[in-house]
Amino acid sequence: MEGLFFNVNSGYLEGIVRGYRNSLLTGQNYSNLTQCETIDDVKLQLGPAYGDFLASLPPNPSTSSLAGKMTDKLVSEFRYLVAQATGSTAQFLKYLTYGYMIDNIALLITGTLHERDTRELLERCHPLGWFETLPVLCVATNIEELYNSVLIETPLAPYFKGSLNHQDLDELNIEIVRNTLYKNYLEDFFNFVNTHPDFAGPTQEVMTEILQFEADRRSINITLNSFGTELSKQERRKLYPEFGKLYPEGSLMLSRAEDIEGVALAVSAIADYKTFFDAVGLNQGGGLGGMGGSDGKSLEDLFYQKEMDMSKLVFTRQFTPAVVYGWMKLKEQEIRNVTWISECIAQNQKERIGNFISVF
Amino acid sequence: MSGAVGREPVFPTRQSLGLMKSKLKGAEIGHSLLKRKSEALTKRFREITRRIDEAKQKMGRVMQIAAFSLAEVSYAVGGDIGYQVQESAKQARFRVRAKHENISGVLLPQFESYTKEGINDFALTGLGKGGQQIQRCRETYARAVETLVELASLQTAFLILDEVIKVVNRRVNAIEHVIIPRTENTIKYINSELDELDREEFYRLKKVSNKKQRDVAAADAEILAARQKEAERLAQNGTPAQEAKKAEEPEVTDVLGEQEDTDVIF
Amino acid sequence: MAASAASYKDRQLLAVIGDEDSVTGLLLAGIGHVTDPPEAQRNFLVVDSKTENTEIERAFVNFTQERKDIAVVLINQHVAERIRHSVDTFADPFPAVLEIPSKDHPYDPEKDSVLKRVRRLFGE
Repeated sequence: MEGLFFNVNSGYLEGIVRGYRNSLLTGQNYSNLTQCETIDDVKLQLGPAYGDFLASLPPNPSTSSLAGKMTDKLVSEFRYLVAQATGSTAQFLKYLTYGYMIDNIALLITGTLHERDTRELLERCHPLGWFETLPVLCVATNIEELYNSVLIETPLAPYFKGSLNHQDLDELNIEIVRNTLYKNYLEDFFNFVNTHPDFAGPTQEVMTEILQFEADRRSINITLNSFGTELSKQERRKLYPEFGKLYPEGSLMLSRAEDIEGVALAVSAIADYKTFFDAVGLNQGGGLGGMGGSDGKSLEDLFYQKEMDMSKLVFTRQFTPAVVYGWMKLKEQEIRNVTWISECIAQNQKERIGNFISVF
Repeated sequence: MSGAVGREPVFPTRQSLGLMKSKLKGAEIGHSLLKRKSEALTKRFREITRRIDEAKQKMGRVMQIAAFSLAEVSYAVGGDIGYQVQESAKQARFRVRAKHENISGVLLPQFESYTKEGINDFALTGLGKGGQQIQRCRETYARAVETLVELASLQTAFLILDEVIKVVNRRVNAIEHVIIPRTENTIKYINSELDELDREEFYRLKKVSNKKQRDVAAADAEILAARQKEAERLAQNGTPAQEAKKAEEPEVTDVLGEQEDTDVIF
Repeated sequence: MAASAASYKDRQLLAVIGDEDSVTGLLLAGIGHVTDPPEAQRNFLVVDSKTENTEIERAFVNFTQERKDIAVVLINQHVAERIRHSVDTFADPFPAVLEIPSKDHPYDPEKDSVLKRVRRLFGE
């Protein structure tokens, strides 16, 4: 029943996304890419999938400009989707961009704090996190003004309100600000897909799983990365999203963890994460530095792998805008893969070229 | 005088001859010492040059590995951390201090890297994701910078040694080709002048002695004439005692006078 | 020698002029230093295609001659190429100027001002 009216408004959009999905690079493409000798070869191999977007690149472009052009394609496709979306789907797509907005805002906050010309920063902002009022934020000359304009002008206001005030922006490390915002964003997104009547059914099921995973991944990463820094356990705990498979017991244990064994213990209740940790963590001496040595995959890699698997599974569902989410994640991974491969080629480090995640 | 280098403007005296001789000796010692110093420095210099060449090649490799670890970071973070890193830099954690090494009296600075504890501007970078890669990248880069610092000390040593060797060689050459020949010339000049003076003096003294002999002969003749006169007078009217007394006295003075004269002459 | 003890006792910092990736990496290693306000000075300069040569030159002069706390100046070789004249004419032992490779520009020993001198001395 839930799919009965979906196609009225969003059928076209879903079709388009499924089309986009088919243009993603396959294992065959990747193995061709890894055989390339120069960036030009890579460009040539990418020709069918990326077409005109790579045409304007100079011969032997830098890897970053290559990645930039690929992102441009993602952005233009996403914008097309946004233009086609209505109603709750449009709302859903907006939520997807909030994550990038957080990064952009964090960038502007950093710039304002150091009294740089924030207008120059606009170029560095992620285009997906762009919104019309973003340039307005550049007018702010001090952090208080910026805070006020963020509240007024941006869709992120709810994430600031209640958990951060303008003094916090000044005093807290920008990473803490960013992660607080991200936590609020994830919780809000989770709440949105779970409460909106249009999303009951497949969207809710799929997105719940994905967002839970995202939340857990963040909690685990934050915990691991905070070892040996001045971030206290209380502060750390505030950054954990308050949902996910680990919440609440696992989160509590995470917040008390003092080393990687503690983290492994905290996540051992969830089978997936336990396998990850068994695969990488403890058998390598348990130190942070030992994580993800050159031979095996790092925890980070395994998380990405898992994320990709989930995104791929999204396409087995129908009548849901969650496919857009899945497509976006897959596309981002693809850009990362290609960047990695071309980086390996450019720097003659062929032995590790296979270290990417091929999905299809 | 002879030679293109000329000589020192000194009076040709025995004193300055002594001075010049000690100066020559000093110059010769200095020359051999400086020559040895220059050789020691050059040896060191060649070694450093070779090491610079090696270190530069090594740097190429190290920096490539480091750049690659940065690529890993951007893969893991999935974005650009450059700006954030630039803005969060506050205090240098990685610093150098200079030590010296003494090579034949030349102080060569040696940079030594050390990390200042307790400064960590990027502890929270990549908190959400990629933190481990960033951590590893930092370590890789820190190692790369150590190589760079090592190379920097070599390079500084190279520049300083280059300069010092030039100066030392200039001094060696100056002593060898200017100071020593000139001093030798001066000594030669003084010697010849002194010889000349000696000859003149000898001639002069000879003249003087000739004249003295002539004077003495004249005086003798006079005395003889006076005595004969006296003897003639005594023979006419004096006593023998008076005659003996008078004859004795002038003879004594005469003998003394003659002895004194010869002493003066030679 | 000209290098009296005082001239390098206070030199503790490294400075860098380079492209974004090189600067980011070196800053991650912890060489970044910003002096106290009011005259906050950074010891690094990010050069991209839009950066003017005069700006690079100014930073180079600032790091090499004006600031007395810098022991080593690291400069990307392709950036050094743009202000080759200044780099070549700078011959003081302090601070040491070191040309480093960047990600996109592998190291070319032929262009290095110091290596050029090395080669010349050996008559190669």
